[in-house]
Amino acid sequence: MSRKYAFFKGCFVPVRLPWVEKSTYRTLGNLGITLVDVNEFTCCPEPVGVGIVDNLTWLAIAARNLAVAEEQNLDIITVCNGCTYTLRNTIHKLDEDKELKDKVNEIIADTGHSYKGKAKVYHFIEVLRDDVGIEKVKNSVKRPLSGLTIAAHTGCHILSPKEVMKFDNPFDPTTLDEFIAALGAKPADYDMKTLCCGWALMTYGAREGAYRLLGDKLGNIKDSGADCLAVICPQCFYQFDMGQFMASRKDIPQYNLPVFFYLQLLDLAMGASLEEVGYTYHKIQNLNVVSKLEKR
Amino acid sequence: MPVKVQYKAKGKLLEKYPKVEICMQCNTCALVDPAIYANDFSPTNTFINNVLSAAEPEKNPNIWLCVSCHKCEEICPYEVKPVEVIEALKAEAFEKGYAHEAVREEIRQVLTTGYAFPVSAYMNRVRGNFGLKPIEERNVADLDKIATKTGLKAKVVGGK
Repeated sequence: MSRKYAFFKGCFVPVRLPWVEKSTYRTLGNLGITLVDVNEFTCCPEPVGVGIVDNLTWLAIAARNLAVAEEQNLDIITVCNGCTYTLRNTIHKLDEDKELKDKVNEIIADTGHSYKGKAKVYHFIEVLRDDVGIEKVKNSVKRPLSGLTIAAHTGCHILSPKEVMKFDNPFDPTTLDEFIAALGAKPADYDMKTLCCGWALMTYGAREGAYRLLGDKLGNIKDSGADCLAVICPQCFYQFDMGQFMASRKDIPQYNLPVFFYLQLLDLAMGASLEEVGYTYHKIQNLNVVSKLEKR
Repeated sequence: MPVKVQYKAKGKLLEKYPKVEICMQCNTCALVDPAIYANDFSPTNTFINNVLSAAEPEKNPNIWLCVSCHKCEEICPYEVKPVEVIEALKAEAFEKGYAHEAVREEIRQVLTTGYAFPVSAYMNRVRGNFGLKPIEERNVADLDKIATKTGLKAKVVGGK
């Protein structure tokens, strides 16, 4: 792996969670990773809405994005499970099927790009694990998150299909827990670790179901003694933060569990303030968690 | 002795996906399936069973509840691959004009802005608070070329 990556910001982070974008630059910069801004990237495209209903357009737009990175001789770093899923599945499908690859290249030819298959795609947590290394992450901690118990929610699309994503055990992932422990916090032990955040239920017609899911999962997390959640996907962030805020008005108990993108936690552990990591923009606010963070 | 499900849509789905017949409603997938939280399902009519047994499966609105998390196929003891069936049904539904409105809007959003989620002046203000530049315009011309060639543009613009 390299130490310089094409920064694939995706859509949700820049458009809805800019503080996560900021923490990404700051934390990865501190760890010696160079993030190259690439203006030619577009939406990956999003896999569940766009990808499934028109597979060929999905592959073609993704192949164009991959081609943009390979033209700069860079691998890609992502901050979203969905982008990772789209780009990695595209590589998998095109490398396995030459006819499909030729067809896709024919479609994107007018854009002046051509997919060759040189650029690799890494989620930031993979860069931390496989490029930076957990020891270096541990050594970068100036203010450990001691006293906090944090529930890891890895999310779905970085785990499966496991033959393509090759990240962690889809039913018992441990990577994120290890990286929570690296910051001096205690990873929460809870059963519903791999239950989806419920984004699709919320978006495509089953809001009550999404609220029931949130009630179950957040209740399970609360029972484990967790103070907050750590996620590595912006949709999961929004569903647990905004979704929890909406659901807890009347549909589920007030669990009041703040949600952090892992890079915000790393940023806090490196010494950033709650304001600097954007906590004031979170929907779920919890004074106990704030006081634990401030007492460190 | 497990009883085989008699699918109403059996003929149609079986032609393309012979593994559908292996499903014996053991409900193992329901242990890990997020869609079971929606209203329509029960222990004897799980999400997967509902999707595989609908008379006109591409018109079943429940197919849109699948987030392609692949948990059902990874836990399935019989190698039924529900995700590929559901994904093909979604594509068919989109083709025939039954897609969930949110899907159509999202595609329009991607093709016209290069972003899957709407850009707002408010968020540009927030970006400024973090010292970040406003949201950049994306190469929509390239997306237009691609979607014109694949035919998606015509379907979204002139779709039902």
